[in-house]
Amino acid sequence: MTKFSPYFAFARKSFLGRSAYRFDHFMGILNTILRIFIFWEIYQALYGGRAEVDGITITMVATNFILSLGLGAVFYVNDYYLPDRIQNGSIATELLLPVNIHGRMLADNLGNALFQLLFHFIPAVAVSVVFIRIAAPAELSMVFLFLLSALLGYGVLWTISFAAQMLSFWLINVWSVMTIKDVFVNVLSGAMIPLWFMPDWMQEIIRFTPFSSIYFTPVQIYLGQLSLMEILRGFLIQTLWIVILFSVGLLLWKKGQKKLVVQGG
Amino acid sequence: MKNDTVYMVGVYTRTIMKSWFQYKVDAILRSLTVFLREATGIFVIYFTLLKFDTLNGWDIQELLFLFSLLFLTYGILIVFFTGLRDFGKTVRNGGFDRFILRPRGLLFQIIFSNADWFAAIGHGGLGIVLFVISAGNVGIVWNLRTVIYYIAAVIGGVLIQGAIFLLLASLNIYLLETKSLKDLLYWNMRKFAGYPVSIFHKAIQFCMIYVVPFAFINYFPAQYLLRKEDMAGYPAVYMYLTPVIGVCLYLAAYGFWRYSIRFYKSSGN
Amino acid sequence: MSLIEVNEVSKAFRVSKRSAGIPGMLANLVVPRYEKKQAVNNISFSIEQGEMVGFIGPNGAGKSTTIKMLSGILYPDSGNVRVDGYIPYRQRREYVGNIGVVFGQKSQLQWDLPVIDSFELLKAIYRIPEEVYRNNLNRFVEMLDMSGFINQPVRQLSLGQRMRADIVAALLHSPRIVFFDEPTIGVDVVGKETIRNFLCELNAKDRVTMLFTTHDMQDIEKTCKRLIIIDKGCKVYDGLLSGIRKAYGTTRQVDVEFAGDCAVAPIEHVEIKELDAPGGRKKRFLFESREVQIDSLMGSLLAQYAIRDLTVSEPEIEGLIRKIYNGEVDQ
Repeated sequence: MTKFSPYFAFARKSFLGRSAYRFDHFMGILNTILRIFIFWEIYQALYGGRAEVDGITITMVATNFILSLGLGAVFYVNDYYLPDRIQNGSIATELLLPVNIHGRMLADNLGNALFQLLFHFIPAVAVSVVFIRIAAPAELSMVFLFLLSALLGYGVLWTISFAAQMLSFWLINVWSVMTIKDVFVNVLSGAMIPLWFMPDWMQEIIRFTPFSSIYFTPVQIYLGQLSLMEILRGFLIQTLWIVILFSVGLLLWKKGQKKLVVQGG
Repeated sequence: MKNDTVYMVGVYTRTIMKSWFQYKVDAILRSLTVFLREATGIFVIYFTLLKFDTLNGWDIQELLFLFSLLFLTYGILIVFFTGLRDFGKTVRNGGFDRFILRPRGLLFQIIFSNADWFAAIGHGGLGIVLFVISAGNVGIVWNLRTVIYYIAAVIGGVLIQGAIFLLLASLNIYLLETKSLKDLLYWNMRKFAGYPVSIFHKAIQFCMIYVVPFAFINYFPAQYLLRKEDMAGYPAVYMYLTPVIGVCLYLAAYGFWRYSIRFYKSSGN
Repeated sequence: MSLIEVNEVSKAFRVSKRSAGIPGMLANLVVPRYEKKQAVNNISFSIEQGEMVGFIGPNGAGKSTTIKMLSGILYPDSGNVRVDGYIPYRQRREYVGNIGVVFGQKSQLQWDLPVIDSFELLKAIYRIPEEVYRNNLNRFVEMLDMSGFINQPVRQLSLGQRMRADIVAALLHSPRIVFFDEPTIGVDVVGKETIRNFLCELNAKDRVTMLFTTHDMQDIEKTCKRLIIIDKGCKVYDGLLSGIRKAYGTTRQVDVEFAGDCAVAPIEHVEIKELDAPGGRKKRFLFESREVQIDSLMGSLLAQYAIRDLTVSEPEIEGLIRKIYNGEVDQ
């Protein structure tokens, strides 16, 4: 505990800091619910009363949206944690602190994520399932595997942002990078269009990107669409992406730091 | 006092353009990013319709036409109404106090002293691209009547949204913080607005038609030009109302602004 | 009638209150709480044409609020303000052309553009005639030594340069009255001196009436004859700068260096401080001028002890004002 205590303090601080924006918070929950609702309505119209399309029932579609968009709210990542500090120069002093800046960054985000889980995910999902029928988990054990996979999914999203943030050592305009990153995440992760319905050629492309590991893998596990072997394979791919993206991030970090030293901050 | 309003607008516009385009490459990149970000929903609906063909009878071309009205009106809107969109920020950072200290109309300064050109190009550009893709493929006969209708509808759509921004800016005078209210009334409702309003739950339809009338920005004008079957669910007169609603709402919002401005309290640090 | 008349003006704000810890956070999430803060409390003063008045007080004393009411940004809750015949908050558009306002902490310049572009914009906004604009610009740019950076974007300027540009921005339309809120904040010593000299010259030559707030007492000492001090929303002093000493500077201080180490017997109403070791050669005598006559004290000291050196000093204005803030002096 003592070794981790500063990180715990950062996490606690970011957790508590969230309460300051009360009305914004309620709006955020409403926003998630509305998004779920919109997609639900669209898919009801698209299904037009059909029981299933390509073996996918509308309940499975609803489950995909509720879980993906719900998790999307939990998966808090501050894309501008490093860029802000690099741009205003405070990175230099922060590097002198006896805490690992990446650890601090993660702790800060995790504190927020925990807040979001308790005060955003739970109410948003609770309200959504009153109106929209959600599939029960395929098996109870799958709930556990789903949670594990969701945690890894957060890892993938976090490391994507982590690597992208490092670009701020070289670029002035990180906003464009982050926004385009979000476009990819939104379109290719299954959060806005269930990946079952992507054209086959798109599915082939998406297989080679980290995006489906974020939400779609956990959702598939929850729905019992994957065999045990496939689940293990899913975990492996998720872990692999985390390792790859984190390594890329670290590599860029090392290079960026050198550049920072050369320029004198 | 001689009337130099047009000259003043020119000076403001020149100054804003100079500011936004200080770094040309960056400006192009930012505009392009807005374009791509806004296109997210278009990619999604495009891929979805590859699988499902139609959404309540609307094919992809017709949906793109529907979307194009939404983006085009916003692109025009933001040239004029950025100052109202960002009014909360202006109040908080003391910018509005500065407006008060200058011998010009307050609303005049708010409207003409700022314009988010990146958003204008990003949204407006997307609107134009979608229009060009779809306008020739949805069976609209473009003649004088339809062109005039189209222009009137776009102006009406801009005014409806302008009225919402003006109303929210007026509320800012009482509340000091209306970002969340704006999210609720504008941005969240706008999420529904790209799609045919007929697919939604009755309560949402009610909101979209009578509360925050997004349906009049794109759905009903598009219906006038496309005449889809789902129009049967609404009074036919709705197809003609957009310009009227735009002007009326804007005048009402302006009245409310004039009334509210007397209650302005500086944030006082 | 005076140029500026402030009559029993009060103004309160509502501020939100935060509580600490997780229970407090949950409480805030549900019910926000507010409390009323009296920013300005029944203040009156008047300023004549051509005066240059320093307006000081600790943070949160109500200086900015008063300036905002004078410039027409805020309505007073009660009382009234009249400047140059106008009621600022009622006749905004007619009034504001006659005043200039500098907020030291909030620039009115276009951040990304060269300084001159902001001036050109103001020229259009205030409808300044070409000739007046040229004259003012050339004169101010020379007086404030700005020709070196007038074509540079504002974001590249140092704080001192930016402040000079902001001051010029507020003066281009030849206002008769100028309010300055912290016009030297964050500016280096040389820059402050330039600004002070400029303000004095403007006041002397153009008879521009000025009211300014500052934290730097040197600003006041070098520019203003008159001083208004407010604290916690109330006016606590209004008068000549030199009058402060008369009114509050009643403590006298005599530093004595004796010929050799010695002990001094206690004297009634006088505090004796050892400046060396106890019983050493240097001592300080502190007393109130109304309780102890300085010549009688010195006479008795000279008669009893061998004295090498003796200095009498009056208290510093800055120290006095700090005492006024702290409520250490009777009012």
